[in-house]
Amino acid sequence: MTDHEADNRRDEAAFEALLERALRIDVPDAATARPPRRAGRSRWPLLAAAASVLVVVGMLVGRLNDSAYFPSGDLAGDVIVHVHHEPMAIQDTAAVRPVPSVEFQEVLRAAGVRMAPVTPMVRYAKLCPFRGEMVAHFVVQGPEGPVTVLLLPDENVPSAIEVEEDGFVGTIVPMEQGGSIAVVGESGAAVEEIQREVAAAVQWRL
Amino acid sequence: MSADVSRLDLRRQFDAIVREYRADLYRYAFWLCRRHQLADDVVQEALLRAWKAFGNLRDPSSARQWMVSIVRREHARLYERKQLEMVDLANYEEEIPAAVDDPDLEEMRKAIFGLEDGYREPLALQVLMGHSTREIAEIMELTEGTVLTRLHRARKKLKAAINFDADEQDMRGDGS
Repeated sequence: MTDHEADNRRDEAAFEALLERALRIDVPDAATARPPRRAGRSRWPLLAAAASVLVVVGMLVGRLNDSAYFPSGDLAGDVIVHVHHEPMAIQDTAAVRPVPSVEFQEVLRAAGVRMAPVTPMVRYAKLCPFRGEMVAHFVVQGPEGPVTVLLLPDENVPSAIEVEEDGFVGTIVPMEQGGSIAVVGESGAAVEEIQREVAAAVQWRL
Repeated sequence: MSADVSRLDLRRQFDAIVREYRADLYRYAFWLCRRHQLADDVVQEALLRAWKAFGNLRDPSSARQWMVSIVRREHARLYERKQLEMVDLANYEEEIPAAVDDPDLEEMRKAIFGLEDGYREPLALQVLMGHSTREIAEIMELTEGTVLTRLHRARKKLKAAINFDADEQDMRGDGS
């Protein structure tokens, strides 16, 4: 092998090593996929105890943190996990702007939903995977802070489910046409009023 | 009872596979869409679907390629439904933290970020996921010849973008 060929080989090997390093970007850990619950804000000790039992059971069956990818059977819990998953949606910033109507309608259309205009400003809207379906996730600016809404045409609940977890309060209410909507905000937000308005405005396109 | 044990066993197998491949599946998803938020959505959704179908996977040795295919399908489905805005080099700094101490790495990442989808994907499948040309051809539904061509051109484009050993490329006659 000539010196020139040997140099070329070294160069190629260096190129391949650099290419591999460049492709191996840092990966958010499982904690990012399922953000840790905010410590010290739970006001429901029974729920905390139940959660501890679930953790033990989870460990027994060898569940990973990655199991946040699976619906847990606890719809309210999954809603809160999802809210944590997109923290930027509810951040208190001075730069909150309305989502353009066209953009919001596009999210609703893609989620299979029709919705009449609502009074509060829509400040965030996204089509999100939730328990195996793509759903509309949006945030409106209530008088006392942001309120998150998930439109869930595939989640049937027999009656309203109260959500009170990690400093969030709200409800998951069944819709007459089937499915449900989840509306949650930080304690004190005008959740009930917004939930009534959204429930009256929503119609599934199914 | 035995059904429970069997499901538990299945779950353990699935968890082991997820543990082994999750990071690279995420990286693959990221290089497909070049958006962390979307890559996260794609991987979450893909793992959910993979778990639902895991009982039907007969050959555990094909799990890696099977999961890559699911990630790819989920990415296509999300793109189709979301009609995503274009991602270009202007988004690079939003998505990838600067490698200030390593200008070569920074330059290479920027070059990969700027590659066309059809070149970036086979490269990620080969280098990240360790797939053979035949496997990449199956995943991307291309011929092996097309995959080889794209891999060669992808490297050539990257070398040009980072000014890698231009003299040597000229000597091979494929630098034009």
